[in-house]
Amino acid sequence: MENLAQIAMESVNFQAIMPSLVLCCFGMVLLLVSVFLERGRTAPICWLSIIGLVVTGIISINGWNDPQAGFAGGVVLDNFATFFNLTCLIAAGLTILMSDSYLHREGYPVAEYYPLILFTTAGAMWMASGTDLMTIFLGLEVLSVSLYVLAGFFRGQLRSNEAGLKYFFLGAFSTGFMLYGVALLYGVTGTTKVAGIAEAIRLMPDASSNPMIIAGAILLSIGFLFKIGAAPFHMWTPDVYQGAPTPITAFMSAGPKAAAFAAFMRVTYISLDSLQVDMSAMFWVLAVLTMTIGNFVAIAQKDVKRMLAFSSISHAGYALVGMVAWNEVGFSGILFYMLVYTFMNIGAFAVLVLIGKQGEDNLTLDGMAGLGYKRPFLGVAMAIFLFSLMGLPPTAGFTGKFFIFAGALKAGYVWLAILGVLNSAVSLYYYLRVMVYMYFRDPVEDFSWVKMEMATIVSILIAIAGVLYLGVLPGPVMELAKLSIF
Amino acid sequence: MISVYHYMILSAILFAIGSFGVLTRKNMIVIFMCIELMLNSVNLTFIALSRHLGNMDGQIFVFFVMTVAAAEAAVGLALIIAFYRNKESIEVDDFRLLKW
Amino acid sequence: MTPDVATPFPLLSLLLWLPLGGTLLCLLLRHSSNLCRWISLLTTLTVLVVALGMAVSSIGGSGWLFYEDAAWIEPFGIRYTLGMDGISLLLVLLTALLQVAAILISWRQKQRPALFYALVLVMETGIIGVFLSLDLILFYLFWELMLIPMFFLIGVWGHENRVYAAVKFFFFTLAGSLFLLLAIIWLYLLHGGQTGDYSFALDALRQTVLTPGQEMILYIGFMLAFIVKVPLFPFHTWLPDAHTEAPPAGSVDLAGLLLKTGVYGMIRFAFPLFPAAAQKSLPFLAILALVGIFYAAWIAYVQTDMKRVIAYSSVAHLGFVILGLAAWNQLAWEGSLLLMINHGITTGGLFVMIAMIQDRSGTRELGKLGGLWTVFPNLSAFFLLFCLSSLGLPGLANFAGEILVLLGAFKADPLWGGMAVAGVVFSAAYMLRVVQSALWGESKKLARNDDLAVREWLILVPLAALVVLLGVYPAPVLEFLREPVSLLLETGGMP
Repeated sequence: MENLAQIAMESVNFQAIMPSLVLCCFGMVLLLVSVFLERGRTAPICWLSIIGLVVTGIISINGWNDPQAGFAGGVVLDNFATFFNLTCLIAAGLTILMSDSYLHREGYPVAEYYPLILFTTAGAMWMASGTDLMTIFLGLEVLSVSLYVLAGFFRGQLRSNEAGLKYFFLGAFSTGFMLYGVALLYGVTGTTKVAGIAEAIRLMPDASSNPMIIAGAILLSIGFLFKIGAAPFHMWTPDVYQGAPTPITAFMSAGPKAAAFAAFMRVTYISLDSLQVDMSAMFWVLAVLTMTIGNFVAIAQKDVKRMLAFSSISHAGYALVGMVAWNEVGFSGILFYMLVYTFMNIGAFAVLVLIGKQGEDNLTLDGMAGLGYKRPFLGVAMAIFLFSLMGLPPTAGFTGKFFIFAGALKAGYVWLAILGVLNSAVSLYYYLRVMVYMYFRDPVEDFSWVKMEMATIVSILIAIAGVLYLGVLPGPVMELAKLSIF
Repeated sequence: MISVYHYMILSAILFAIGSFGVLTRKNMIVIFMCIELMLNSVNLTFIALSRHLGNMDGQIFVFFVMTVAAAEAAVGLALIIAFYRNKESIEVDDFRLLKW
Repeated sequence: MTPDVATPFPLLSLLLWLPLGGTLLCLLLRHSSNLCRWISLLTTLTVLVVALGMAVSSIGGSGWLFYEDAAWIEPFGIRYTLGMDGISLLLVLLTALLQVAAILISWRQKQRPALFYALVLVMETGIIGVFLSLDLILFYLFWELMLIPMFFLIGVWGHENRVYAAVKFFFFTLAGSLFLLLAIIWLYLLHGGQTGDYSFALDALRQTVLTPGQEMILYIGFMLAFIVKVPLFPFHTWLPDAHTEAPPAGSVDLAGLLLKTGVYGMIRFAFPLFPAAAQKSLPFLAILALVGIFYAAWIAYVQTDMKRVIAYSSVAHLGFVILGLAAWNQLAWEGSLLLMINHGITTGGLFVMIAMIQDRSGTRELGKLGGLWTVFPNLSAFFLLFCLSSLGLPGLANFAGEILVLLGAFKADPLWGGMAVAGVVFSAAYMLRVVQSALWGESKKLARNDDLAVREWLILVPLAALVVLLGVYPAPVLEFLREPVSLLLETGGMP
């Protein structure tokens, strides 16, 4: 017993948790600061939280190529974690930029919003660097609990209440499955360390037919698949995405999803490596199911926010294709794709944030009619994001999908790649429809309520820059993604 | 003699009851309790296995699960109260705006 | 393969990116439509002048006339490789010329002019890029880039059914090109797996060793994209809709240029990469082409909308082009390429003229037109000239190409040749019907009755001159085609 304590003390390495530590400190300080600000004054907190993200980003970048492990091997800050950390930080930054004016418009200028986003991001970063199922679980919960609050942030809005509750119930439900999976794996292997589980499974002669391992792996995967929003565990996604405050929807679809992918990849790729054949087969089915369900249901949507929610399901499916591939190209493809997706999806939501009226009842297809003419900048921005979501060159969506499908083809999954491409073709339909409304319909309304808020515009511009840079010159970042594989 | 298998079976049954409850019950508090039941069945599994393996990791995990469950309870109940204030109901059937 | 001397000045890149620069200027200065108009005209004229200069400087040249190569996306071995041989040179010239016409014909564009000109210029970059790229991913990039502006041109500035037509156009072509993308990636991986050198260069990928099965699947993947774009029967249904609904400049680009990219893709990529599969497919291509010729001619005959008639006539002419390719000999290929260029000019001219007629009469319906000759003698004379060229009157442009195709087809299989001759007769029927009901007969009510304006003369005279010139003296064009075509045929290869 005293041994354990000693080991724990000795292996403390703050370097390994520095980014999330700094972010948490910022979050707590900001909570404190917000107490002293008069009610409704959120701008200082907003800018301070941006500073916090930038500082964390710099710290993360400094840790590049300098892997740090700590806390008895429970946490490791390697390139893989750093890449995902930066993705989450970008997602959080873009979200915060578009939030301030939005909160004021919707009548909830509450400063706690920003620290909550910082805590979510810290949780996401924990997940990405966790190498013990315990740390991954903790990160997941820090992330989830903050997100439950954020999804239900508009207390007086029934829609937001419902989104928060739904997310809470299904999130907690899936956590139960995940924990049960962890417990079973722990029972077989005697450890919760990602690498330790791998070791133990490798030594077992009949691992792939051991019911405890199979059940553990499946239950654990269910937990992650819930967070990712993969079919058939996607039911919460559209409702929660539609009901939550729009910036939070944008954030949820990118940052936490990326973190869930990070943890999922680490666990499957390292711990369950011996089960590759079975896991790949399972992912194959799930990827196809996810892409198809997401796309076909998205076609029927009239609400743009809800449509983007379904489309985010299908994008999770594309990323799962990289999991099926189970090779370096596929995995680094997921890293790259999550970054790309962060830019293009948050960008699209940022446009929605600007054109929404209070209450956001006008974010339907009809409400988009003639947007391209009344607000040329927003129209062009939305068009770029939509083309990227479709996967057309020269946008990042193309290079991202290219990366992932190249991985699948390399591993020999030709049919999967074909189904993926067919799905992209289906997705054209609903993305194009938004475009048709924006440009081919005459404006019904004059969009006079749209205020071109500086901060939101900046976040849209950053997203456009990201989408175009990763689309035209993806080489350097692809190189980084390849270096980030553990 | 009660062995680790008995604990495993008990916790599996509890887990199944919990998840069944989440899927079928309509009252949010009951659903919430079912989720707690699931988490506690996991805790039972952990403790039984930890004892069986002679390894403390499982018990440490239980502490974390309990802490997290408490945090979740705080947030969850707050959300339920917010919903109740707007809708005067805690039935999931009253989710109207977004289909359940 | 790769020429020893790199071009001192990146002329190809200049050609490629100049229009995009014009686009940006247009978007920046969108509040002054007059300025945008001049910017776009100057841009297209500059491109034309540069292209002409390059043509003059490379008379008698061989191999890659111009070539550029630079690293681009290194992790995947994707390079920025541009090359121009005689075939691409001619097609780029055609592009540059028709874009000037497209800008001029839409000179009075009132609805959102800046955006309109910007899109036409983006299209020019896309099309030129397709004709120049030698890296498959670069090619794919431009291939898709052509799609976006066309979608908007049809959807925003089109006629009544524009949304339907735009979406249909987008779907057909994109669905085809997605298979192209898959095939490209698969070929890349096969090649990389064999040699360890992961590259998308056309040159390298040609060395890939493929089993007949693989080769056929990949070939079909490539051809699906190209056939839809050409379009070959039975994938042509998007074309009449797109044509009918598109604004004049859109129709000119569509018929004159976009369709050519499909044929170009076949001869530059599909055939050289998969020669054995290509050989096997030739009879099928010929059958589809012949069916297309007759079917399109028949449908064209019963159309009442002039634009639809010309659209179907394009399907028929492209049928001839494909028939020439299927004949697989020097004569037929030269004929095909010549016909492609001539068809671009003739059909471009016809669409320009239809726009002018519609301007004056307010309709494109053959039933509501008539007696134009008496009101607009000059306009009608030009129209007659283009129509006669389109039906293949000896001495005019299309005839020169068609006769070579026919001779080549006879050489390959007399049956094909014989049927194609019958097809020529058919095309005479529907074109004459257009001439008869539009130009002769009783005059109908007109919106305006002024004959050609200066701007219109400026568009029509060069096109008409080319129609005559290429009809009586196509030798210079054939000179450019001879070497690349023989190389493509003999080695299935490139300079």
